[in-house]
Amino acid sequence: MAIDTCVGCSYQHGGQCPIQGKNYGNTPDEVVPYANFQNAYKKHFLIPMEFLGSGREKPEPKGLETVRIGFLGPLEGSKDTPKGKQMYQGALLAIEQVNAKGGYKGTPFELMPHNDVGLWGAAANEVVAMDDEGVWAILGSINDIVTHVAIRVALKCEIPVINIGDPDPTLTETNIPWVIRVISDDRQSSYALSSRIYKKDGHKRVSLLRVNNRYGRVGTGEFKDASTRMGFPVAVELRFEDGDKDFTDQINKIKTNNSDAIVLWGDAKEMGLIVNQIRAKGLQHPIYACDRAVTPEFMRVAGKNANGIITTAQFNPRADNPSLKNFQKAYKERFKMEPDVFASHAYDGTNITIQAIQKAGLNRTLIRDLLTDNSTFQNYKGVTGEIIFDGTWNDVGQIFLVEIKNDDFQFAPVVLVEPKLSGSIK
Amino acid sequence: MRTDEDRVWVGTNQGLALLENGKWKVYTEADGLAHRSVLALDVSPITGDLWVATMSGLNRFSAGKFTTYTQFNSGLANDVIYSVICDGKDVWVATGGGAGMLDTYTGKWAIYTEQNAPMHEPWTYSICAGGGNIYIAAWGGGVIEWNKAKKEFRDYIDPDGEMEIDLFPDDGVVHDITTAVTYDDDILWVATYFGLSRYDGKRWKGYFDHDSGLASNFINYIKANGEVAWMCTDNGLSSFNGETWITYKNLGTDQSGQVIVNGKSPKENILKASSSLSHNFTIGVDFKDNDIWVATSHGLSHGVVVGQTEVKTSKL
Repeated sequence: MAIDTCVGCSYQHGGQCPIQGKNYGNTPDEVVPYANFQNAYKKHFLIPMEFLGSGREKPEPKGLETVRIGFLGPLEGSKDTPKGKQMYQGALLAIEQVNAKGGYKGTPFELMPHNDVGLWGAAANEVVAMDDEGVWAILGSINDIVTHVAIRVALKCEIPVINIGDPDPTLTETNIPWVIRVISDDRQSSYALSSRIYKKDGHKRVSLLRVNNRYGRVGTGEFKDASTRMGFPVAVELRFEDGDKDFTDQINKIKTNNSDAIVLWGDAKEMGLIVNQIRAKGLQHPIYACDRAVTPEFMRVAGKNANGIITTAQFNPRADNPSLKNFQKAYKERFKMEPDVFASHAYDGTNITIQAIQKAGLNRTLIRDLLTDNSTFQNYKGVTGEIIFDGTWNDVGQIFLVEIKNDDFQFAPVVLVEPKLSGSIK
Repeated sequence: MRTDEDRVWVGTNQGLALLENGKWKVYTEADGLAHRSVLALDVSPITGDLWVATMSGLNRFSAGKFTTYTQFNSGLANDVIYSVICDGKDVWVATGGGAGMLDTYTGKWAIYTEQNAPMHEPWTYSICAGGGNIYIAAWGGGVIEWNKAKKEFRDYIDPDGEMEIDLFPDDGVVHDITTAVTYDDDILWVATYFGLSRYDGKRWKGYFDHDSGLASNFINYIKANGEVAWMCTDNGLSSFNGETWITYKNLGTDQSGQVIVNGKSPKENILKASSSLSHNFTIGVDFKDNDIWVATSHGLSHGVVVGQTEVKTSKL
């Protein structure tokens, strides 16, 4: 049966439109920019971009020995290397599993790893190299700088990019019709945290302590905006450098500024050290943190001081999901370690990419069309849960609040408190 | 794509093509081209040299030979070069790692990034010169202006500070993600993937596909020719002189096309054309007298400007 074209988003997705009638990015009504005094003249991202260029007519090449998929991630020489290694392994497992079943019409898939060292511009050269290698799509990366640079080059090369690890909200706000993301971003985390902090827990003056890099700046941007629009602008924003070990100056400022809660945004190790030093100085403020606290490293560094901290997670690794359990078992058997958030999303992203290639054939434009048609992979049920794409092909599916209790993570689905209108966030 | 006297240079993803005397010649990496994918071109008004921006370095094509500049053998900020222009003796480039300027007399490079210019990040996409300034389209950073006399930077960003909206269309650039800039007749034009901006030195004006004759908000390239700006969009070629919009489209079925005058207004007038662009996804435009050349994602088109509202085109 033919599915009608949706008048809301112009795609043939069937059923309820995932986009129409909603604020962009599941933004609660009360934190829509300028909504209290002015309707924006132009609202972007409500209708997915089409790619109107040519390329669909290119025939499938013959005689390929492998079907290549590019991988961009921090594999060496970066403090993010452990995350990159997990991400690579998640992608590799998906490749190995599909190859065991015959790959692409009998031709094996091949992962083409490229290192991202987190330097300005370096990723641009890596994407060009992947284009030269003839990859059909690119997976990656984690670092926001790297990924932004990469997608611009991918746009020029016309290669689909499936982001599996970068939570920068602005990544998919570029209107590049070649990029999808299968991991939720810091916009979703910020809405969850701000709702919990101000509405459920009733705090009014928050001190924000963040890492002084783009991850910290852009990641907290949505949290600060949401705080202001909820009526509780962040009382003080303090910064630290990646790799810092002494946070005395920042904590002393928090001590004297009358704040009633603290939000941390950085990497696991630094946040763990900060928590310890906050408690050592006798501060009993409730502490909230970004999702990078949901790691064994944070628990190891913070120890007992981790208890009581509230953070977010892009998925629930303990969900009663058979495909997740199968993945975790296979991953542990293959790599002798537990998969983390990056491995899990890489596994989902790679499987989506593989399915898109198998259905569309070896044509980048047709692969892109399938990835972005808001039908084929809308509501994709992966090991990380259900992936729901918004108008920018960003995953706005269910995320989780995580409370650390008894030295363990307790996951609960995010339900925003008292939304003014039903349907803005589920 | 760039016209040069009677020659037309075309950058493709399979080399640098030259149309001269009705014949094509293609230069590849075997000839010394830095990379097969050519993203931008310009011709030096002083030396006549062709400067070639590729995905893996900058080429100077002079006296039949290529010289290659990379980040390893020169002061180039990054090897992926999106834009190149010649401003007198200076060659400016916009790269994935910042903007750069080569003084061809001294051979010295200057690099402009977030370290020494008002950019959030050193992701530059396009460069133009005009009015005593250099303008840089910075991805996520609006437009960066370099005043050549004062040697000072300033930036133009969207005042609302939000990616997902444009609060007011005429308060500045319509979006901070800028893709191309061009300057002529004392007007700065700024292309984005979200609409078009025009700046006369005092006031900004924004245009979108829902409120003007702009063919699409997704603008790949822009070039001003006198008072008229030509916008290469993903859905046709639009021109605008500040009053009248004209959009050229391929109807897709045969050679015929469509000319839309003042689209999305009460004065809209749709005309049929016997010839058209080779594809509506347009990515470059240049002029030589009354000739107009348009690069598309499916071939190159040549047109002749007959009158203010008419261009006769032919596919190549």
